[in-house]
Amino acid sequence: MPVIQKEPMILHPRPSSIVAALYTLRDLETDVVILHGPPGCSFKHARLLEEDGMRVVTTSLDESGFVFGGMDALVNVLETVIERFNPKRIGIVGTCASMIIGEELHEAVNRVQPDVPVIEVEVHAGYRDNTQGVIIALESALAAGIIDEAEFERQKILLKEATMVEKRHGAASKDYLEPSRGDLKYKVAERIIQLLKEGKRGINILNAKKETAYMFADINLAVVQVAEKLGVGSNIVNMANLDEKLGLPKTRRDARNINEDLKGLGIEMHHIIGGLDEYPIAGNNVNELIAEKYSDFDFAVITGVPHALPMDNIKDMELFSITNGPRQVAPLKDMGHDHVVVELDLHPKTLGVNHIVESELGATLREMVKDA
Amino acid sequence: MPRQIAIYGKGGIGKSSTASNVAAACADEGYRVTIIGCDPKSDSSITLLNGRRIPTIMDLMRQGVDIKEDDIVFNGYKGVKCVEIGGPEPGIGCAGRGIIVAINLLRKLSKALEEADLVIYDVPGDIVCGGFVAPVKKGLVSETYVLTSGEYMPLYAANNICKGLSRLDVKFSGVICNSRGAPNEENIVNEFAKEIGSQLLAFIPKDVIVQNCEREGYSVIEKAPDSGIADVYRKLARRIMADKETHIPKSLDDARLRELTQI
Repeated sequence: MPVIQKEPMILHPRPSSIVAALYTLRDLETDVVILHGPPGCSFKHARLLEEDGMRVVTTSLDESGFVFGGMDALVNVLETVIERFNPKRIGIVGTCASMIIGEELHEAVNRVQPDVPVIEVEVHAGYRDNTQGVIIALESALAAGIIDEAEFERQKILLKEATMVEKRHGAASKDYLEPSRGDLKYKVAERIIQLLKEGKRGINILNAKKETAYMFADINLAVVQVAEKLGVGSNIVNMANLDEKLGLPKTRRDARNINEDLKGLGIEMHHIIGGLDEYPIAGNNVNELIAEKYSDFDFAVITGVPHALPMDNIKDMELFSITNGPRQVAPLKDMGHDHVVVELDLHPKTLGVNHIVESELGATLREMVKDA
Repeated sequence: MPRQIAIYGKGGIGKSSTASNVAAACADEGYRVTIIGCDPKSDSSITLLNGRRIPTIMDLMRQGVDIKEDDIVFNGYKGVKCVEIGGPEPGIGCAGRGIIVAINLLRKLSKALEEADLVIYDVPGDIVCGGFVAPVKKGLVSETYVLTSGEYMPLYAANNICKGLSRLDVKFSGVICNSRGAPNEENIVNEFAKEIGSQLLAFIPKDVIVQNCEREGYSVIEKAPDSGIADVYRKLARRIMADKETHIPKSLDDARLRELTQI
């Protein structure tokens, strides 16, 4: 009997639940994470996360580990990690290989009995929605008493919304999405400058996911700087999901860092539309604000997760969207966004930083009005 | 907290017959019983359901439907809750992973594992990979039994299982002899039980009534309650419900096992 798929198949590769769990453990301020699986699993992200100060080590399961089990290896690595790195908080994350052969992460914890909390995440990459990796990690953190029930429930709602956003207009919206570099930055910058010169009014929105805001904010910053340079600074209204009081510790810290940078540069933030983990829902606030106050504005620059913004009140504006996903270009164009710019490889550049990072579009904008 | 037991033993030795008759006997005594068939053959509960084959968790997963408790937990003889995990087609996919997924799903969907006096895991004869001990490793089985006859091969399997159980640090409650009519059988199994540091809990004689009832889709307890064999199952059931004595089993070396089974 054939296996029947619950939902239509998606052909392009999409984010991994294991990686999602790793990032969540970083947000939970885990010192060392042990990936129980083959040495190459999640290599690229494991490496990147070290930039943020979280060590990622692996039990390096090999062919014989798959056959004979890897519990001794996991116990050994756990003991080594405790001895060598003296962590205050440890994570153990499953992989496809270790989960298929039925490894029980808890068995190693039972055998070693560490004095510090261990977040055990029984996850593989076979979930349709990578947010499942976040949920499993948070469930385990809740069980370990690291987060409270209220934060857990809040996160669960956000993750559900994030999954819906991706299904509606994101990476899970079509069975295949062609990657694209988007529109030429030079052309897009030119158009923004032209609109500003014509005295048009624009809404400048940062709706970014967590640390990616370190670079997306640079584009919003550049828009303000260019407007001021052209003497039309007051034609721009700024909104950002930079609430410093929401989210896991790192998320709050990131919001604070970016706010301080913007403040230091004299940027006035007119509206805070949510926390850095609220990108799936902050668009609703934007929608209401526009209906109330800015419905007659001419254009909008939306950075981060532009496809999470409802189109209701922006559809008549000229829309400039900046994403970091090459597969996000086609869905944004389909939604009616006029200009879509991709900041390629943005995410890796926003790890291990605590200040705004220069973006290509931001640099282009600044360069083009340098002599104005 | 219910008694959570698993019955191990060589394939074909009579684990499912024993499990379903013990389940029925306990239900007769008023206990709330759940039986989880972990064998891909999915034949653990059939004699508690008048011969009816229930859809397995794996069948429903394959169909891609959203699974609810009612789809997988069925009321059998005197309210015994019956669940069959099932598995992929032989030779395809990974039955072990199937058990892990099904056990996780069952825990999420149903209270049948908690709201019971006795939960019986009817596991396949061979613990071929990690998945097949998922109920044990996930802490859902707190005591184990081994079923064997007095012949060399079933005892060899039983001995191997004891080796595995002691490695897993699982509590062991005793040996059950399902007789195949081998000479000196009860003594042999009794001696085996003693030497692994355990006890023989029951000697179930070979009786055609069991076969006859099963063919018609019933347990002996239901179809032939007045038979002597029904009484044997009832005594075993009472013994299981009463016994609290558990330990980690020892195992014998092969030479001793051969010697023991020499008639």
